[in-house]
Amino acid sequence: MKRRTAIKNMMIFAGGIYLLPSCSGDPAKASIELTNIDVSSGQESLLAEIAETIIPRTNGAPGAKEMNLHLFTMKMVDDCHSGDEQQKFVAALRVMEKEKLFIGLESAQRKEFIEELLEDKKAPEELRIMMKITKQRVIQGFTNSKFAMTDLKQYELVPGRYNGYFPVENV
Amino acid sequence: MPNLNTDSIKDRTFDAIVIGSGISGGWSAKELTERGLKTLLLERGRDVQHIRDYPTTSKMPYEFDHRMEVPLAIKEEAPIVSKCYAFREDTMHFFVKDKEHPYIQEKPFDWIRGYQVGGKSLTWARQTQRWSDFDFEGPKRDGFAVDWPIRYDDLAPWYSHVEKFAGIVGNRDGLPELPDGEFLPAFPLNAVEDYFREQVKLKYPGRHVISTRMAHLSQPQPIHLEQGRGQCQMRTLCQRGCPYGGYFSSNASTIPWAQKTGNLTLRPFSVVHSILYDEQKGRATGVKVIDTNSKEEIEFFAKIIFVNASAINTNLILLNSQSNRFPEGLGNDSGVLGRYIAFHHYGGEVKARYEGPLDKYRTDGRKPGYGYVPRFRNLHKQEMNFLRGYAAGFVASRNFYSDTGDIGEPLKENLVHRKLSPWNVNSFMMGETIPKKESQVTLDKEMKDDWGIPQLRISVDFDENDRRMLEDYFEQYSEMFSAAGFKDIMASKREGAPGLDIHEMGGVRMGHDPKTSMLNKWNQIHACKNVFVTDGACMTSTSTQNPSLTYMAFSARAADYAVKEMKKGNI
Ligand SMILES: Cc1cc2nc3c(=O)[nH]c(=O)nc-3n(C[C@H](O)[C@H](O)[C@H](O)COP(=O)(O)OP(=O)(O)OC[C@H]3O[C@@H](n4cnc5c(N)ncnc54)[C@H](O)[C@@H]3O)c2cc1C
Repeated sequence: MKRRTAIKNMMIFAGGIYLLPSCSGDPAKASIELTNIDVSSGQESLLAEIAETIIPRTNGAPGAKEMNLHLFTMKMVDDCHSGDEQQKFVAALRVMEKEKLFIGLESAQRKEFIEELLEDKKAPEELRIMMKITKQRVIQGFTNSKFAMTDLKQYELVPGRYNGYFPVENV
Repeated sequence: MPNLNTDSIKDRTFDAIVIGSGISGGWSAKELTERGLKTLLLERGRDVQHIRDYPTTSKMPYEFDHRMEVPLAIKEEAPIVSKCYAFREDTMHFFVKDKEHPYIQEKPFDWIRGYQVGGKSLTWARQTQRWSDFDFEGPKRDGFAVDWPIRYDDLAPWYSHVEKFAGIVGNRDGLPELPDGEFLPAFPLNAVEDYFREQVKLKYPGRHVISTRMAHLSQPQPIHLEQGRGQCQMRTLCQRGCPYGGYFSSNASTIPWAQKTGNLTLRPFSVVHSILYDEQKGRATGVKVIDTNSKEEIEFFAKIIFVNASAINTNLILLNSQSNRFPEGLGNDSGVLGRYIAFHHYGGEVKARYEGPLDKYRTDGRKPGYGYVPRFRNLHKQEMNFLRGYAAGFVASRNFYSDTGDIGEPLKENLVHRKLSPWNVNSFMMGETIPKKESQVTLDKEMKDDWGIPQLRISVDFDENDRRMLEDYFEQYSEMFSAAGFKDIMASKREGAPGLDIHEMGGVRMGHDPKTSMLNKWNQIHACKNVFVTDGACMTSTSTQNPSLTYMAFSARAADYAVKEMKKGNI
């Protein structure tokens, strides 16, 4: 499927987002306990793919899926976002899953799909908001991960020192 | 009424009672127990033992479910405390959530509280600048409030006393407006903080940028090791409680010290309802307490009582201590109790960017402190269209950041290989405010809390003086930043009602005259000599300096005086 077509499809389905039944026949629940939002295991897998597209696995460095950043995103949406954003987030996942708007794409197209969605102000609001939140939380999850903080040494719990004249060449 | 058999009265009788175990109560308890007094320390909240009860202290950010962000449901239920920068997922267990202890805001007032053993000493920002005679002579010189019944010389030895024990970092800057103290080595300013210091020195005679004085152990002395405290490890995670005891808290310092004397009884879960007054004896005899677990009412007795429940709660206790002799609250012959409340004006900040040769430096590691610019406005004489003035913090920082525009591999590459930001500079104002008669707290006639204590109504607001001062701060710091060559200067107001500064003071002010004040120069209630108030409630004016070091000094000084008076048989 071409990117343009994917986006176009998405626009078409967006109008009917709220008409979709909330339980679209997939009884399996998400793998983590959620209080405010209802995410199926299928939608969880979809979110994992979106997250992995945002931060993919690369040589020697884990990607979002392996780091469970999709679960972190779900947790944050569940506990730290408004009811309105939660609703839009779930509605977007639902329509994307139902219409296979993302999962059917090749990896290069997936990336374009997300980019297009983040840039295109005319894209359906639910999808834009969902993607914005997902990107923000996936990045937050990455920079606050054990991998970034400990393995990449981006954070020290106990520095025990301060130098206010540290030469930049030493970086 | 509780069942009062004689035996149990004996069990409930002490030499001294201290109400509240925060910064001031911890000091009162330490000084009283060291002088041999059997002391009961009453605390409304739960016990928090040093290290054992710091559940988050050694956690990495990724060990918190929400990476230190406070969940929305908690924020929505507690909008007031959520405004406090220190209220985070890793620290929120040390703060009162709004709903737990409601109060009535006649005008918006952000009352930030910590109800536990240690009070707010666990979460404070540890800034400890001495006050000077420019502060204590302020009301008299400028004709507001009433004259302080003390001067700097009365307090100086007690500042030294508490500084040596608490451990305060700082440089001897030689500024009369910010007297030097007993300092451990200061946290050094960084390249751009130093640069601003030099620029200000060059271009603004009479203005000074110094390194903040703070209650940290940069170099622990034997007295600190004896408390079981060690060197500050520059984690800057202080509000979680420090496993090294690197900063001063009641939990790490004064309370365990008082316990070691064998003279302390610490009773958590004990809300003081009121102070008992005996009309025959003409003195306070003890306190009425509600046990928060059993809801049982218990009376405790003592020869002297220190009220250290933190400024506003101390007002509440005294207002609620009513008797035939004092129908309007204990010691309130003058009608000033609950009035002349003031705070610190934290309403503005100015930000900018440094560009220049110091770009060859960055910082490595972390430090708790930053720069501090003492008040220069109206210092030697009144010269502006507003009274008093402001101090300001000054921070220069350079951080790593990532460009997050892309997605996919380029994004990941950016997150892994971060960039160095330019030097950003930031100043924030700390203004003195004028205590006014109409700025007051009162008891609500109907609403009670869970323990049957009337809820407080708070009516405190900014005024025209504050607005003029803010304008001047914006103007002066924009100009000083510009003179220093900083770029992209941006002045902005800071959100927050009075109270968010967490330096609320007054209501039980000191003064010479019982007709216009509640306390004498020894922090003793004029009309009830065995009750002492040494927390923020006692403050006649607010100065611009962070107040807690001064509460410590007042507590130690008053405890020393109280014990001497007791021994002389005067109280
Ligand atoms: C985030 C933050 C940053 C701060 N930064 C600074 C700073 O840099 N410098 C500075 O000087 N100050 C700072 N402060 C303010 C400082 O914490 C307070 O000034 C100080 O703690 C006041 O000491 P206190 O003993 O009066 O009150 P608290 O430390 O609040 O202790 C009062 C205690 O009394 C208890 N209590 C209240 N009512 C009753 C009752 N009825 N019965 C029994 N017990 C009762 C409370 O539970 C509490 O434990 C800061 C505060 C916060 C929260």
